[in-house]
Amino acid sequence: MPGLTTTEANTSASASPVVSFDICETYTSLLKNEELSAPLAAILALSKLIETSDAGTMLELVKALNDGAGALKASTFNPISLNAGCELFIAFVTLLPHDSASFSDLKLELVRQGQKYAAEALTYRDKIANLALGFIKDDSVILTHSYSRVVMKTLLRAHERKRISVYVTEARPRGLGLRTYEELTAAGIPCTVVLDSAVSYVMDKVDFVLVGSEAVVESGGLINAVGSNQIAIIAQAANIPFYALAESYKFHRLFPLSQYDLPTHTSNILSFPLSPGGNVVPPPSTGVIKTAHEKSSNADYIRRMTPEQIACNPGVDYTRPDLITLVFSDVGSLTPEGVSQYVVGMFAG
Amino acid sequence: MSATATITMIAPPSKSTIKLTPQSHAEASSSQAPKSQKQMTKAERREQQERQRAAKAATKASGPQPGGSSQNSAQAKKGAPPAASTSASVKKGGKGPDGKPMKETKEMTSDDSARGLRIFSHFGLPKPPGPSKGDIHPTIIRLGLQFSEFKIAGANARCIATLTAFKTVIQDYVTPPNNTLSRHLLTHLSPQITHLVSARPMSVTMGNAIRELKLEISGSDIDLPEQDAKNLLCQKIDDYISERIIIADQVIQETAGTKIKDGDVILTYARSSVVEQVLVGAWDDGKRFSVVVVDSRPMLEGKKLLSVLSAMDIPCTYLLLPSIGSVITEVSTVLVGAHSLHSNGAVFSRAGTALVAMMAKQHSVPVVVCCETYKFAETIQLDSFTKNELAPAGDIFSSFPLIRSKDTLILNKQPNLEILNPLYDLTPPSSITAVVTEVGVIPPSSISSIPLALGRTTL
Repeated sequence: MPGLTTTEANTSASASPVVSFDICETYTSLLKNEELSAPLAAILALSKLIETSDAGTMLELVKALNDGAGALKASTFNPISLNAGCELFIAFVTLLPHDSASFSDLKLELVRQGQKYAAEALTYRDKIANLALGFIKDDSVILTHSYSRVVMKTLLRAHERKRISVYVTEARPRGLGLRTYEELTAAGIPCTVVLDSAVSYVMDKVDFVLVGSEAVVESGGLINAVGSNQIAIIAQAANIPFYALAESYKFHRLFPLSQYDLPTHTSNILSFPLSPGGNVVPPPSTGVIKTAHEKSSNADYIRRMTPEQIACNPGVDYTRPDLITLVFSDVGSLTPEGVSQYVVGMFAG
Repeated sequence: MSATATITMIAPPSKSTIKLTPQSHAEASSSQAPKSQKQMTKAERREQQERQRAAKAATKASGPQPGGSSQNSAQAKKGAPPAASTSASVKKGGKGPDGKPMKETKEMTSDDSARGLRIFSHFGLPKPPGPSKGDIHPTIIRLGLQFSEFKIAGANARCIATLTAFKTVIQDYVTPPNNTLSRHLLTHLSPQITHLVSARPMSVTMGNAIRELKLEISGSDIDLPEQDAKNLLCQKIDDYISERIIIADQVIQETAGTKIKDGDVILTYARSSVVEQVLVGAWDDGKRFSVVVVDSRPMLEGKKLLSVLSAMDIPCTYLLLPSIGSVITEVSTVLVGAHSLHSNGAVFSRAGTALVAMMAKQHSVPVVVCCETYKFAETIQLDSFTKNELAPAGDIFSSFPLIRSKDTLILNKQPNLEILNPLYDLTPPSSITAVVTEVGVIPPSSISSIPLALGRTTL
């Protein structure tokens, strides 16, 4: 889950009618439900906004929705997947023809549709797991990255019927790979944590790579936790298939031309520290942890990055479509070109 | 297919034609038995007219101006006209061509020597609008001339000019009795279109626009009074221009503008009207970037773009295509325009674009093509030479820097040398990162699904 800062100061209903509805808080409380991913929580939060809004016309309603979406995006570090959900819902509201007796009926209908969609979307992970199952052979060695709910579901489902073993990358700095490790070993699946830097070392032992996604973009490429692009490049070099699992509400209209074209890329990332005089400052003393054995000798400290250093690093990266073999989604198993055709068809009209 | 005195073979060019004509031309020059106009058949009259025009051109060509003469004789694409035949045609006096300006005859003095073009002969040479069959509207004649001289160049400009000219034609059109507008206007327009095509091969944009126009004409209501029907058609033309070109360009300008950030170095090739609009718009929005304009001979269209950009104080660098390797590492994005976009995602654009795109791809620089949807062609194009166009040689285009006198610079009139200037080339979809259209940013692999997505049955 992206780190959230719940700021009460973000007034959601910034339109003139004063509503005691704070969209950010609704969103955060919705996210507490483990099953809901960011885009779904956004859709539900927006439907709640419709419920409590007193907009009288479609135009006002759409404006209120856009304001709410804007507030949500501003409240989190990584708004990409959340954005996908917002755009999908707003597109649904504006583009599809609705016929209702009156405007308030229309609003109720929209809310109902939103909730129905979210409920149905919870079954998407199962659909994807079943779909991917056909590609997992008995005795497969799988490499995965960081923690993803849909990948977990798929692996656990596969474990019911076949023998699999899993390598999972540590996924620094958040270390979510360790969470995957814990859950897999608890289920009895043989699992080993692999250093992020050891992916090419392990690649030749792997049958295929399976990753989740934050968003799938219009080019057919993938946005996922940082490190996915590296794994994809290594997989292609080693001729190992790279599969991405993505629910259809994660399909996004974004089209990044490069890593630095992502909305999450700020000027802070990968910047060189400069003192006000323009000289390079000496590096802040790296956090040093003395292990128990090394108290006597001064060599061999395990060094860790400081939080400031970590802040100079990206949280997500973009994987190009030509590196991805297949995208498994609730609408079927698609090639990256197929994904882009689907997204174009969904949004271009 | 040159328009010299090829007497019987006015048909499409073939190698055999080319070989025959020197003899026939020689024959024509010798058999100069004067006949009165009435006695000659139409073909012979035409042949005499052509001869006379050629003669007049030759006399003008061998006139005092050395630059002019090299310019005129420079039109010989198929190797040098043998000196003998030129002097032969000079011997004939000739009355001037009726009503056709001098410039056309330039191409006619090019004599087909024994050799034809080795490659690209399948789409022949540019030639002036020949004797027109049927009555061509003066606007169309003027337009044909402007096309053949590249006064109007560029896919958008040509399409808008064509449609505007057709508006005049439609307004001046009178339905003959016992005919309906929706049927007869089409037959009336055909020779006009043929005339334009003979001046310069039709661009995909013109083709799409004319197809839409024909659809509108054939769908026009029979019961409408004629003036109303004509006004409606002109209104439809205006809507087409406005919707699919002007407004589309504005949307593309906004969308592509979001891809430009402060501090970027944008590379562009030759001159695309859309890219010019994008850059100007982004600068007006307050983004501060610099531009590298890559240009190539013989057209040197980039100079025009350079002057527009520098007038706005945008920092620009100008270089020719061969030196692109030295700047590509400094470039953040490549923005190019397109002549047409094909179903397999390939982009047909000014010759040299493919090189720029492939070079950029090598260096991981994103290549963004700005293209309106009306430029989509449903065909698939796999290479640059099944369908291309040759530029006429000579001084029609912007002048190159004159270090030596023009005579020495123009390389024609040598028996073992052919000058080839294809105007377009094909950029494969693998070199393109994204295509910006008015319906959004599309990856090249999804181009074919655009019309479906828009619910259009035609492009």
